[in-house]
Amino acid sequence: MSQDLEPKQYGVRPPPELNPRTDPVLDFPDADYGELEPEDYRTLGFMSGLEVHQQLLTRSKLFCRCPAGRYVDEYDAEVLRHMRPTLSELGEYDGTALMEFKTRKEIVYQLERGSVCTYEMDDTPPFEIDGEAVRIAIEIAELLDLNLVSELHVMRKQYLDGSIPTGFQRTAMVGLTGTIPFRVPELGVNRELRIRQLSLEEDACREIADVGHYITFRTDRLGMPLTETVTEPDLANPLEVQAAGRLLARVVQATGKVRRGPGAARQDVNVSVAGGRRIEIKGVDNHRNLPRLVHVEAYRQLNLLRVRAELQNRGVDPEMLTVPETGLPWEVTPHAVDAASAVSPCEYAPIRDALEREEKVIGVRLPGFGGLLGHRTQPGVTFAREFADRIRVIACPVHRPFIIHSDLTDYGLDPRQWRALSKQLRVEQGDVMVVVWMPESDAATAVREIFIRAREALVGIPAETRQAFSDGTTGFERILPGPDRMYPDTDTPPVRIRDELVLEVREGLPETPWARESRYEALGLDPEPARRLAAAPWAELFDALAPAPGAPARRFADVLETRIPHHRRNGAIDYLPSAQRLDPLVRAVESGAIRPEAMERALDDLIDAPDRSVDKVLAPYRPGPDDDAELERAVADAAARAEALAGKPAEAVLRWAMGEVMPRFLGRVDPSRVRQRLIAALQLAGTEVAG
Amino acid sequence: MTEATHDLYKGYRGPCLEVMKRFGITVWCEVRAETTRGTFEGLLLPRSETSDDLHLVLKLGSGYNIGVRHDTVRSLEKIGYREAHYQIPEKEFPTDPVKPSVKLFGTGGTIASRLDYRTGAVIPAFSPGELYGSVPELAEICNLETEKLFGVFSENMGPEQYLRLAEEVGGAIREGYDGIVIGHGTDTMHHTAAALSFMVQRPPVPIVMVGSQRSSDRPSSDAARNLINACSTAASGPIAEVMVCMFGPTSDRYNLLHRGTRVRKMHSSYRSTFRTLGDIPLAMVQDGEITPLKHGYRPRRDDREVTVQAAFEERVTIAYYYPGMHPDMIDALVEKGYKGIVIAGTGLGHVNRRIYPALERAHAAGVHMYMTLQTLWGFVQMHVYETGREILQLGVVPLANMLPEVAYIKLGWALGVHPDEPDAVRELMTATIAGEMTEREPHDGYLIFQGGVPEVQEFLEKIWR
Ligand SMILES: [Zn+2]
Repeated sequence: MSQDLEPKQYGVRPPPELNPRTDPVLDFPDADYGELEPEDYRTLGFMSGLEVHQQLLTRSKLFCRCPAGRYVDEYDAEVLRHMRPTLSELGEYDGTALMEFKTRKEIVYQLERGSVCTYEMDDTPPFEIDGEAVRIAIEIAELLDLNLVSELHVMRKQYLDGSIPTGFQRTAMVGLTGTIPFRVPELGVNRELRIRQLSLEEDACREIADVGHYITFRTDRLGMPLTETVTEPDLANPLEVQAAGRLLARVVQATGKVRRGPGAARQDVNVSVAGGRRIEIKGVDNHRNLPRLVHVEAYRQLNLLRVRAELQNRGVDPEMLTVPETGLPWEVTPHAVDAASAVSPCEYAPIRDALEREEKVIGVRLPGFGGLLGHRTQPGVTFAREFADRIRVIACPVHRPFIIHSDLTDYGLDPRQWRALSKQLRVEQGDVMVVVWMPESDAATAVREIFIRAREALVGIPAETRQAFSDGTTGFERILPGPDRMYPDTDTPPVRIRDELVLEVREGLPETPWARESRYEALGLDPEPARRLAAAPWAELFDALAPAPGAPARRFADVLETRIPHHRRNGAIDYLPSAQRLDPLVRAVESGAIRPEAMERALDDLIDAPDRSVDKVLAPYRPGPDDDAELERAVADAAARAEALAGKPAEAVLRWAMGEVMPRFLGRVDPSRVRQRLIAALQLAGTEVAG
Repeated sequence: MTEATHDLYKGYRGPCLEVMKRFGITVWCEVRAETTRGTFEGLLLPRSETSDDLHLVLKLGSGYNIGVRHDTVRSLEKIGYREAHYQIPEKEFPTDPVKPSVKLFGTGGTIASRLDYRTGAVIPAFSPGELYGSVPELAEICNLETEKLFGVFSENMGPEQYLRLAEEVGGAIREGYDGIVIGHGTDTMHHTAAALSFMVQRPPVPIVMVGSQRSSDRPSSDAARNLINACSTAASGPIAEVMVCMFGPTSDRYNLLHRGTRVRKMHSSYRSTFRTLGDIPLAMVQDGEITPLKHGYRPRRDDREVTVQAAFEERVTIAYYYPGMHPDMIDALVEKGYKGIVIAGTGLGHVNRRIYPALERAHAAGVHMYMTLQTLWGFVQMHVYETGREILQLGVVPLANMLPEVAYIKLGWALGVHPDEPDAVRELMTATIAGEMTEREPHDGYLIFQGGVPEVQEFLEKIWR
């Protein structure tokens, strides 16, 4: 890899926020996902890292003894809460905290008696941390080669979006600074992946609805233990991101003590390009979606940097985009006006309805932004969406749409109205007008947000977390929080991680995926099949049957890989066949009692006829004393019938004859011998098909 | 250890202290620790004094803290130094001549607080500037002045503090404040509320006690809302009584104003822990708007007249009766010089026969004895059963539906006011002076719902949130 790895980090500095390369590649052409080579991403300065959240398979939640994994749709009661930003340990209000407070959400939690208690609703202090969860976390940390802490300190990580009723997530650092082998033969990757840290934390609520100033959460998932594994930003292109996600999933699954299924594992992915900064895309629950998301984000950053370059070019500076801190913006700055009279009467239904609801319609002038709001930042998405997203999340308007702009001239207002508004705002060449409509207090927040976002456009890429959409695009979620939102949990004592516990975990440690791969390679498998087998659900079955190194191991791995998915697809089996049932087959092939070509068919038979005894199923594949005589009869019979094919090419005749004779002797007679006998009987000797 | 060295190694002792000294490291150093468990880098934080002496605490760049055990440390290298100080942004509290003025007394507790690194504890923070920095809404309600009287947690509030507090409240009323707020820890808030109810008589303005069940360093805290509603009540509320202002439901919806002599903390940790027992609350407060629920409260007056009777006899106790109680429990109290015993009896106000002789001896020794109820709800009724009548004969005086803790406070106060006049004490105890006994119990004065019952379920889903 051409990118130099940074020296090992042990954690004293916060993770870097800016891409180490400050030179955006502005002239690089826009490309859709799938059109670029790894080399292109290197040119762009693409960097990515993962944060994988994995629910642990424990009986209880992390800090109370409610059952973990009980999901219900009914609820017995609701609780209403608000969140206020508070002070971090180091004395500063956190950026996210302030933003969330602006949103002033009414947060409703739905409670179901069987899945939550008074702990989750923040009416009872935490109970002792779940020992099972701590143990599993240590096990994963060991698999990831992390340095274990001696003492867990439970911290509070603030979340004011309401997803946790306390307003913070309880979380504890378990291990730091590890590396794992990162081998992906098909991508030509063979290096190490650096793991920054692993923490143990409680899961948040499930969001049910978010409309205007009301947000509703279900609390059943709240408090379930999960680990968060964070990699360094070592992933150099979208496919590597996906491969790393899969690798980390396999590591945690190796323990057999993690939850599977929808929502049990969710990744946040960090992305930046040269000149950009770390952007976190939250809650991707499928590895398949990762590559497109990170590609699109790379392009969003590149295009925001283009917008910045153009604004700089036009001489726009932040002074032109400031609004006094207090008062209604349209009363304190000439850049914003009450546009009600300019737009009335309005044919455009959203604005007409807003006027009827007696809401505000506000016009905003962004000097020097003309034409840029229509600039494409994501597939099918323009720069204007950056403003709309901010307003949606922070001002919380109920009715949509709530924004239009003058880069789309024939939309929303008619030309006369645009002209009236432009007069009212004293618009000049190169400016753009934005119109928003919503209740007064929301409109005030919205207008301030427009100017905040416009100023950020001059800096480039705002630090934020983004939510993933299924089409690969993302939307603003919240301002990226800093380390300041973390402070010690005064309700829980430190938890010692004793040497005895660590030793005990080490002794029972499962095999890592890479150890498994090496073991399969040692059995004679090629790297790619070895990796596929190590990741396959039948790897355990393979191990239990322990085929002999060399041809038997290769053959058996291959047979499992082709036949098991086939049977699963056909619905013939919803579970793997037992090792006991397959053992006689593997042993017979190893000893030569059954020839290897028969393995695939014999396996099918063992699966298709589960009630027949193994002996009976395998009997037809075992050589018998009369095989030679039977073969001669079959060959003679085929030769006789082959006369009907006279005139066909010799190759075709032989293929037909093999098809007639060979299946009956599968496992019993060497196919090359059958072939020779047929060639002789068909008097094809000397033709090209010999051998 | 001198104070200065103590500061350099805040909270560390034993083997950890040795390790720090060996490598020339103090708290607030950024260190690289080579250990048998790998290399760690972080800011060395002070250690809580109640934690063990085996681990160093590092704050990582990510904000996490971790513990590193002393005997895993091979070396500590100083790579920087960064001392952190926790501060609430202090802004000057704006005053507005047309707004009512409120005096906020601090007693400790968690109404406004900050974190302390060393102990991990929540430390009260209090000046108007600090309060304005964290609850700016207060400036829209009143002109606020604050005075910290004590820095004690709720459990350390006692007679000494009651007396001082009563005098200070009386003084503030006479100075002309439009209302008084008292920040208080929640555990014994109802004891202090009762004490003030008896000691500060016929106040012309609201005296509002307030606290929080979730400390104000957390986003979900009830502190700000409680404080806002308490200040509104004090500034412009119509009720001139001693009240407790805390959450009604656990949801962030409204506060209740409870009469100081009928209120009790009923859950160790719920936000809605304070309940009025045997009656309905005085009022609801939501977003500063006060809706009275109960008629017959004492209304706010324009005068500044108030009677403060600050006195307390500490040799008073509550005897919580249980079926196997031996008479020597009572004898021991008498022997130790207790002057008053509030009995929390079973049922309608009963104790077993076995302790009758001891009660008789106590009565003969001049000890004041009063009967209250463990059931908390309902009236003492000692005429229904023979046991009750017998106990009356032994000199135990029934106190109707006065709550046991209130009776304890009242008896301490009455004995303090009339140390040598048993008849006056008895007269005071059996007369209602601050709503501590009611003549009747309304049908909705006792409401303890049972979950799971369909009609309650329906109520919870539709209304109670
Ligand atoms: Zn629970």
